[in-house]
Amino acid sequence: MILRTRFTKVGYLKYLSHLDMVRLFTRTFSKAGIPIKFSEGYNPHPKFSIGNPLPLGTESLAEYMDVELAYWMDPETFIERMNKSLPQGIQLIESKMVEKRASLTSMISWSHYEIRFMSDKLDEEDDFEEALSKWNSLSQVNITKKRKKGKKKVERQLDIKPLIGNITYKGKDNEDFHVLSALLKSGESGNLKPIELMEAMERELDLKVDLDMVMIKRLDVFTDEDGEIKELA
Amino acid sequence: MKVEKPSRYIGMEQNMVPKNPDEVDVRFAFSFPDVYEVGMSHLGMHILYNLINKEPRYSCERVFAPWVDMEDQMRKESIPLFAIESKDEVRSFDFLGFTLQYEMSYTNILNILDLAGIPIHSSDREEDFPLVIAGGPCAYNPEPLWEFIDLFVIGEGEEVTLELIKIYDRHKKKGYNKRKFLEEVQATMEGIYVPSLYDVSYNDDGTIKDRFPLISGLPETIEKRMIRDLDGMFSPETMIVPYMETVHDRISMELFRGCTHGCRFCQAGMIYRPIREKSVDRLLELAEKLVDSTGYENISLSSLSSCDYSQLHLLISSLMDRFEDRKVGVSLPSLRLDSVSIDILKEIEKVRKTGLTFAPEAGSQRLRDVINKGVDEEDLVNAVSYAFREGWSRIKLYFMIGLPTETDEDVMGIKELAYLVKDLFFNRPPEERKGNFSVTASASCFVPKPFTPFQWHGQDTIEEFHSKIDLVKGSIKDKKVTFNYHDPRVSYMEAIVARGDRRVSKVLYRAWEKGCRFDGWSEHFKYETWLEAMKELGIDGSFYANRNRDFSENLPWDFINPGPSKKYLQTEYTKAIKGETTRDCRLGCTGCGIKDCAMWGVFN
Ligand code: SF4
Repeated sequence: MILRTRFTKVGYLKYLSHLDMVRLFTRTFSKAGIPIKFSEGYNPHPKFSIGNPLPLGTESLAEYMDVELAYWMDPETFIERMNKSLPQGIQLIESKMVEKRASLTSMISWSHYEIRFMSDKLDEEDDFEEALSKWNSLSQVNITKKRKKGKKKVERQLDIKPLIGNITYKGKDNEDFHVLSALLKSGESGNLKPIELMEAMERELDLKVDLDMVMIKRLDVFTDEDGEIKELA
Repeated sequence: MKVEKPSRYIGMEQNMVPKNPDEVDVRFAFSFPDVYEVGMSHLGMHILYNLINKEPRYSCERVFAPWVDMEDQMRKESIPLFAIESKDEVRSFDFLGFTLQYEMSYTNILNILDLAGIPIHSSDREEDFPLVIAGGPCAYNPEPLWEFIDLFVIGEGEEVTLELIKIYDRHKKKGYNKRKFLEEVQATMEGIYVPSLYDVSYNDDGTIKDRFPLISGLPETIEKRMIRDLDGMFSPETMIVPYMETVHDRISMELFRGCTHGCRFCQAGMIYRPIREKSVDRLLELAEKLVDSTGYENISLSSLSSCDYSQLHLLISSLMDRFEDRKVGVSLPSLRLDSVSIDILKEIEKVRKTGLTFAPEAGSQRLRDVINKGVDEEDLVNAVSYAFREGWSRIKLYFMIGLPTETDEDVMGIKELAYLVKDLFFNRPPEERKGNFSVTASASCFVPKPFTPFQWHGQDTIEEFHSKIDLVKGSIKDKKVTFNYHDPRVSYMEAIVARGDRRVSKVLYRAWEKGCRFDGWSEHFKYETWLEAMKELGIDGSFYANRNRDFSENLPWDFINPGPSKKYLQTEYTKAIKGETTRDCRLGCTGCGIKDCAMWGVFN
C-alpha cells in the first residue's frame, strides 16, 4: 500500500539536504505512529522514497514521496499526524493511495519553477522581454556539465535548449526582484537546474544578474506521457 | 550565501523552543564553542537548554562556532553572530554562557565573542553587553580564561544556573550594575568564581606565591556544586533533533554521575565524585518521554563507565522489552573489559556485530597498576576470546603514551597486546573464525590534568612522544594490525592550557589574534603560530607542560575544592610511582576526602 504524498519545503528549510530530509521523515514516521513498512534484513529501515531531490537552497511547493504502509491508514489521518510533528516549512499537502507502477523518480520529468533575481542592467520590464526574445532566437545554447567518473573529472558540452519547455517573464515583485516562470526538464530523461539556466542566460545576454542572489522555488512537477505533459497521477 | 552544510545555521529543528523575546525577562545564550554538529552531540547542552526554557520568563538559545567558511562570509558582509532560535544578535542577550569541554576550543570562545561584537576582555565590557559566564569540566582550572570570562560556575550546573539567572533578574529589575551583581554572587553563592575579584602574586621562579580576594567578605576556597538527588533533579524529557547528521545522533540518557574506579589520569573520575545513580523507574519514565518526543531510533546509555550501573541488566532488558516494536535500539558507549559487559552487548546488538572497543590505557601490567586501571591481561584475553566466539572480529584498543614512569618496555606492550589479540583470533580453529579480522591500537599522548593524582607530573616532550611512537610504529609489521596516534604537538598545547595560570590567557589571546581557531581540528591546528605567540610574550611552554611540580607548590587551581582532597591526590601519586593500586571505592571507601559522601550509606 503506497501513499503518494506531496509536500512543501520552504523558508530556511530549503537548506536541508536530501539526506537530512530522509532522516527527518524517518523520525517523523516513528514519532507520529505511522504504520510504515520496514525493510527486511540486518538493519531494517522504513520504506519510503523521495522523488527528484532538489538542489540545496531551492524552495518547493511540489515535493513528492511514496510511503509504503504495512497496513491501512486513511490519507487524511496520515497528513494530519505527520504535519503535527513536521516543522512549518515542511508540510504534507496532499496524499493518495496509488498502485505501485513506476517509481517517482522515473515519472517526474518536468518541473515548473519560479525564479527571482536582481539585475544591474535591466530596469524596465520591457528590457527583459527584449532579452527574452533574443534568447528565444538562439537555436542552441551549450553549457559545460562536470561529472566525476571515478576519480577523474569529465566535462562535456550539453545543448540546453531541448531541456526548456518554456520561459515567461512575470514582471517585478514587490521586493523589486524580476520574476521568471520556467518549465524545465527534470529527472532521468534530462535535467536542467534553474541556476544553470540563469548562468547560461547571464553568459549569452549579459544581464548583470547577481548569481548568488537568485531565489528559486519549484511550483509543480509533471510527468511526460508520450510527449504530453501531464499532472502526476 | 555560499557555505558548506547550511543546516548548521538555520535552527528550526524538532523540539527547538522558540520564545518571544518580548515575553521573557532574561535571555540566555548557551554556547558550545565548536561547530554545530559537535555541540549538538553534547548532553549537557540539552540539559541546560531545557532547564532554562522550562521557566516561562526565561529563555535559552544556542550559539555555536561558525565554521571557517561561514566566518569568512560573516566578516565580509559584516554580519554579527546571531543565536540560532531567534536569529537575534548574541550581544543583545543578558547572558552568554560557554561550556568548557576541551582546552583546544578556547580560541573559538574568543572568536565567538569577537564575531558577536562583544569586547573580548571582561574589563572592557560594561552593563550593555551580556554577562559572559563559563562552566563545565575545564572550568575547574579557570585561570587561563580569567581575562575573558566574567564568572565561572564550578561543578554541576543544573541548580546554580537557575539561581544565577534569578538573582540577575532581580538586579535587572532594580537597575543592573555588573560589579555589584558579581560581588553579591561571589560573596553569597557556592560554586561561583569571579576572577576579577581576586589577584595573584608570583615567586621569582614563576610559581604562584599567593592569591587573595580584592575585597573583604569573599571566600578563599571555591566549593564545587554537586547535585545530591539525581532522581529529583531536572532531567530533560525532550531533546532537539538536528536535521543534519551529528557526531552523536541519538538519545543520550545519563545513568549516573561520578565513577569509583579511581583511574589516576582521569579528571572526570575525580571531579564528579561521589557516584550517584538514577533509579531504573526514573530512567524508564525518561526514556519513554524522550522516544516519544524525538522519534530517535537509539538510546545511548551514557555515563563515565556505564557498565558500572548497579541495575544495568534490569534496565537494558526493560528498555528492550518496552521499545522492541518501535525498533528503538539501545547502545553502550563505553565497555568494561569483562565478559559480563560483552554479554550485555550481545543482547543489544542482536544481529549486527560491529567493532568492539576496549581501553587498557597502558601496554604493560606494571604501568596499568601505576595508573590504577584495574584490568589485567587475563581480563583482556577472556573478553576478547569471548567476543570472537560470539562473532565479533574487529577490535579497537585505546592506549596512552607518556604515562608516569613509562619505559620503552611498557610502550612496546602496546604492540604486544595488539599482537596477542591477533593470535587469539587466528589460534581458533579456522571453521570457528567468523568475519574479517582487524585490530587497531590507538594511542593518545598523555596530558596531565588538574585535580588528578598526576597533576604534578611533567608531560613528555614532543621528542619523547615521537620516539615512543616510532618505537611502536616500527615494530608493527602486520597488515591486520593498525597503529594510530595523536599529534603530540596538540597534546603539548593542551597541557600548557590545562595546567596554565593567569599568564596563559595572554597566549590564548595572541594565538587567536594570529588566526588560531578550531585547534582541536587537525586541519586547522597551527602549531607554529602557537609557538610564535608564546615566544612574543616570553612564555615558556615547558614551564607549564613538562616541568615536574613539587607537592609544596601553590598550584593555579588550588583554590577550588573539587571534593577529593589534595592530600588524597598526593597519596595516590606516591602510590602510583611505587606501582601500588587502590581499590574501587564501591568495595569500601578509600578516603578521598569528600565530606559526607553520599556513598557511605549505600556501599559501606
Ligand atoms: S569518600 Fe570514599 S566512597 Fe566517597 S567517593 Fe571518596 S573514596 Fe569513594
